[in-house]
Amino acid sequence: MKTAHELRPGNVIMLDGSPWVVQKTETTRSGRNAAIVKLKLKHVLQDSTTESTFKGEDKMEDIILERLDCTYSYYADPMYVFMDSEYNQYDVEAENLGDAAAYIVDGMEETCQVTFYEGKAISVELPTSVVREVTYTEPSARGDTSGKVMKPATITGGSTLSVADFVKTGDMIEIDTRTNEFKKRV
Amino acid sequence: MVNDSANLLHWDIFCAVVDNYGDIGVTWRLAKQLSNEKKIDVCLWVDDLRSFSHILPQLDPLLTTQVHHGITINLWSSPLAIEYQPGSVLIEAFACELPDEVKHALLTLHVQHKADPRLQQPPVWINLEYLSAESWVAGCHGLPSMQANGLKKHFYFPGFSDSTGGLLCERELFQRRDEWQNNPLNRMALFSQLGLSGINPQDTVISVFSYESAALLALCRLWQQSEQVIHALIPKGRSLNSLTCILPKPIDELNSGEQIHLGNLIIHVLPMTDQEGYDKLLWSCDFNIVRGEDSFLRAQWAAKPFIWHIYVQEEDYHLIKLDAFMQVYCNNLPPELANSWQALNLAFNQEQGEQAIKHWQQLNLVNLPLLQHAKQWPVDAINDVDLASRLVQFVKNS
Repeated sequence: MKTAHELRPGNVIMLDGSPWVVQKTETTRSGRNAAIVKLKLKHVLQDSTTESTFKGEDKMEDIILERLDCTYSYYADPMYVFMDSEYNQYDVEAENLGDAAAYIVDGMEETCQVTFYEGKAISVELPTSVVREVTYTEPSARGDTSGKVMKPATITGGSTLSVADFVKTGDMIEIDTRTNEFKKRV
Repeated sequence: MVNDSANLLHWDIFCAVVDNYGDIGVTWRLAKQLSNEKKIDVCLWVDDLRSFSHILPQLDPLLTTQVHHGITINLWSSPLAIEYQPGSVLIEAFACELPDEVKHALLTLHVQHKADPRLQQPPVWINLEYLSAESWVAGCHGLPSMQANGLKKHFYFPGFSDSTGGLLCERELFQRRDEWQNNPLNRMALFSQLGLSGINPQDTVISVFSYESAALLALCRLWQQSEQVIHALIPKGRSLNSLTCILPKPIDELNSGEQIHLGNLIIHVLPMTDQEGYDKLLWSCDFNIVRGEDSFLRAQWAAKPFIWHIYVQEEDYHLIKLDAFMQVYCNNLPPELANSWQALNLAFNQEQGEQAIKHWQQLNLVNLPLLQHAKQWPVDAINDVDLASRLVQFVKNS
């Protein structure tokens, strides 16, 4: 069991007897510190998606499905192709990657976990952190070195996130893929 | 053990009292409005009747079930002393965890209805959330929350935009407020009724219902040196905790109606009132300092300037919520005035005494645009449809 707060794109949960892939998670805070988690879900067996809201501490039945360590190979619209250590290839629909797609880039070295349901590759889970190059960010405005002042940055693959003010274009940064937050410069 | 008054059409509201008057304040107002205006049988389950009795003095905290204002009030004990009879709607207020008996009853109905659709279906299950002006609220309002066992709950978010669940406000509240405020004798009569003596019609009167804040102490010290008399009406509780160093005796020894003279500031120890009495108090004061959710909203409906002391959250997240509200509230205010009002609220919430003094002086209580804005704001904010009406419609559409 996982709490709704612990879910991340690529997880598969069971709701009312049906398996759903988590495509996107958004955590916000209600009154008195309670977390609220909004999930975008895709039904594994049907071509339908839905949005659903949960309390952060709601317990979810996280299905343990077959998983394989794979590396990303290439993209063949609309499929991302991953390969295991024995060079078997698995196609995963781009839509099923949800937010994880932002970190799937050519040449990436991180090992991902491809999840299978009844023999079909249905989702991909990223490692909890990845390292990416900052392709563009404005120069530091205030010379802040504390890491508390943030600014937007674009990383390899084109997605953007907030990074510490001292980060420069060309820097390699570590990102928490669960929260899409900048962790540190590496 | 069986609640005879229950029928299939009634609504149940479950409320766990977290601080003394906030959660129960909101749910009690909602229950009354659903009963009075929508003619819905409401059963309100409350886990702390003693706190509830402070805003409903007629309530007997020792009874497990009783009826007031046409609403059945049940003690939410563990296990339940009164059997839960499913109605047409079930509201868990502010994400409280429903009793196991209730969850079991819902699941039983769900399973039976699935097997035979002619049988009663589970009530529409709603989690009534806290009020927030943050933009994400519109994207979450009304979404289902699919439960692993097949039951479906909906998140209902109060809010300030069309895409949210709206704001709690009785149908004739603004009319009653205007009638009250149009006759200056009403406020003097109220003060007298509350045992607050020595207040002249031209005096400035400020109600204070906040959490502890060093900024409140700073403001009181400023008011002491005011050129004109200022009356601060403060109930025994958390606000006074901030003022112990200027009080002549311990808070425990203060009595309702007692006055503490500090230069030109007169602190009146305010007695507890019911909700109708508190509304009239807010309507009668020149400025209100309020906290949490219920008094925060009622201060807006009072059409008077106010400071909102928001409930503190981890990592200062409450300041994001405060800022979101201030942006909405100040949308039509002149920038300079908006800046002062926002800075005052921020200083109060961040316990910055000197900043609070500075911005209080900038704000100037007789500032006409701020008063005009406070008067227009309720009309703009309610946006034609109140929370109870939107909630009833939401249930019909579910």
